[in-house]
Amino acid sequence: MDFSLSQEQEMFRQYVRKYLQDVETTKIARDYIHGDINTVQQSLAGLNELGCTQLNIPEQYDGMGLGKLDLVPIFEELGAALVPGLHLETLALAAPMIEQFGSDEQKQTYLPSIASAEATFTIAWLEPGRSYKKQGIQLQAQHDAGSLLLQGVKTLVPDVELATHIIVPVRVNEQIALVIVESDTAGLTVSPLQSFDETRKLSQLQFDNVRVSTNQVIGQLDEGWAILNRGLLSFNAGLSSWLVGATERIVQMANEYAQIREQFGNPIGRFQAIKHRIVDMKLDLETARSLSYYANWTLETDAPDKVEAIVSARIFATQTFIRAAADNIQIHGGIGFTEEIDCHLYVKRSRFFENYLGDIDTYYDLAIDALGWTDVAAPTALPITP
Amino acid sequence: MDFAYTQQEEQFRLELRTWLEENLPEGWLDGTFNMPEEQAAYGQFLRDWQRKLSEGNWAAIAWPKKHGGRDATLMEEIIYHQEMVRVQAPPAINYVGLHMVGPTLMQIGSPEQQEKYIAKILSGEEVWCQGYSEPNAGSDLAAVQTTAVKDGDKWIINGQKIWTSFAHFADRCFLVARTSKGEKKHHGITCFLLDMNQPGVEVRPIIQMDGEHDFNEVYLNDAVAYEADVIGNVDDGWRVTIALLMHERTGIGAQVFSLEQQFDALVELARSVTTDDEALIEQREVRKRLLDLYIKSRGSLLNYYRNLTKQLKVGHPGVEGSMDKLFVSEVTKELFSEAISLQGHQAITWKQDAIYGDSYWQKNYLYSFGQTIGGGTSEIQKNTIAERILGLPKDIGK
Repeated sequence: MDFSLSQEQEMFRQYVRKYLQDVETTKIARDYIHGDINTVQQSLAGLNELGCTQLNIPEQYDGMGLGKLDLVPIFEELGAALVPGLHLETLALAAPMIEQFGSDEQKQTYLPSIASAEATFTIAWLEPGRSYKKQGIQLQAQHDAGSLLLQGVKTLVPDVELATHIIVPVRVNEQIALVIVESDTAGLTVSPLQSFDETRKLSQLQFDNVRVSTNQVIGQLDEGWAILNRGLLSFNAGLSSWLVGATERIVQMANEYAQIREQFGNPIGRFQAIKHRIVDMKLDLETARSLSYYANWTLETDAPDKVEAIVSARIFATQTFIRAAADNIQIHGGIGFTEEIDCHLYVKRSRFFENYLGDIDTYYDLAIDALGWTDVAAPTALPITP
Repeated sequence: MDFAYTQQEEQFRLELRTWLEENLPEGWLDGTFNMPEEQAAYGQFLRDWQRKLSEGNWAAIAWPKKHGGRDATLMEEIIYHQEMVRVQAPPAINYVGLHMVGPTLMQIGSPEQQEKYIAKILSGEEVWCQGYSEPNAGSDLAAVQTTAVKDGDKWIINGQKIWTSFAHFADRCFLVARTSKGEKKHHGITCFLLDMNQPGVEVRPIIQMDGEHDFNEVYLNDAVAYEADVIGNVDDGWRVTIALLMHERTGIGAQVFSLEQQFDALVELARSVTTDDEALIEQREVRKRLLDLYIKSRGSLLNYYRNLTKQLKVGHPGVEGSMDKLFVSEVTKELFSEAISLQGHQAITWKQDAIYGDSYWQKNYLYSFGQTIGGGTSEIQKNTIAERILGLPKDIGK
């Protein structure tokens, strides 16, 4: 029995944490709010130098060939500092999908450039007025001389200006295909949208007969939905780590503030109304962490309970982050309500992620299905005891 | 990360499982055996069960071999809990003796005390209870008012204990009493190994809200203890008091594994209970509520394994046990509350008229209220976590 990150993984965490402390943690996010893309690009270069972008890329494609669990401390630290950018989308979604389902040519093209941080991926999935469900994907792709012509609109696409490539689920002859589109392709119009969470930029993308080679399709033309769902397992495992990291920073903020802020001649953390609230946050945090570690372990080992494990982690870590971010403001009192203190940045990000790439309500059904509860006749599966 | 059990651990599991299947009362595993309801017969049944366990060397596996244990590893203890929960083995009547008093005697007791008590604890010949809580000393244990006054070679003890589990079966009591008024309230405390079978000790039952009788009030009216019954030093009993409590924390595993089992039973309930010919589990809202509980009970198990890993590495239990205790007891309470809600108005039936499982759910729902109180209330656990893990300032009054 060993349910912990390895010494090497914890050591790597320290490198990433040290680096982010050196660049003043949420300063990157705050610079990005004010339109400074440069700081974000520098941070990506810095993280690349540390090896963050190479970790889970196979060695033959210039990566380190490490596992899913090695990404856990990195995502936790990125979450703690609210580092802007497409780290999750690139490392936990695009890279594993290309590695698992991409053609040799796609692997040769993209994996080494992800490892070197030259390629970054965003995903254009949602369409105006539509859901994340399969029927929500209506952007049409027509065959035309060995290419696909994309026509339609995608919306709420994150951080396009930071992306070299866009993964686009499209509809081809009633099937869903997953296409890689270069972000500067002709016919693509990017219109910025105001974002509630200013540490992530949003855009609407208009596709006017955007021509994409069929070589840019990941897997077969009818496999897009299945591949995307496999990719989402990896993404959600990574996201749950990110959320845990962010929540850990929140608990730390609340705890530190409660120790220095004095009222009635005492640090407010002496009052049970405050200290018990912080303990509740801490308990949820550690539970989210246990669930997310386990989720990433099931992903790494391809365990039979990976779907329910990963989705459970995503749901609980999301709910925990939302609650803790809100409680953090309450504990800070008036100062927590101001723009100056970071508290609000976490609240906004918690809502950004709440229903990102699949709403929580749908994820409930996914886990319920995986547990066999929709099959009324089936006996309860024996618990998979690790 | 590695959740695999070693071959040796699996072998241990198999050995225990085989022993249990061969030695549990006939009809136990298929649910046809009923434990005696009458108190004396019930007590005898539990004593017999413990004697059987000790004959198989299964009563106190963590004890050293020289005291009749197995020198079990921490992982073997975990497996032991898993297997005992799996067959829902009869409760250990001498829980206090086996898991608290025995280890404390080995740690702090004199050679004579060890000689006198340990073997009988193991065999179940002497059942122990824990004389800690008093009407005015619950969470604030150092406020004990029971007094022990020296009179020649005797100690004369007066006072009242409460919430004393199994005192109605107990032969001995690990008693905390005040022997002097110290500068601080946890000074001047002494621990005694008190004989329960004497005129000065009166046990009165406390009937719980679930109708069961686990606890008692113990009245001490000129009860007598001797010098040989003092464990540790006179007036320096607070550290003995705490030493005993530190051993108590190992019981969390059993609660965590029980929660897993109870959750599975809840899913079965949702499958079997129908309204208008529709099973509860067919309702999406029910499935969602089940998933929330699934996530928390998994979280409880995984938290436990994470803390266990730490314990395996550092070699002793940490304060994180408070987090496990808090979480598992709160989730257990939530689970049974949900089980009552899910059954709808039918849930208000009781005992033989209960619609499902002889009021298993109703009984456990009522019982679950005790779990966030006993062994340190949730509020006390929160103070401990706040002060010892988060480093928040001590509570007012400390």
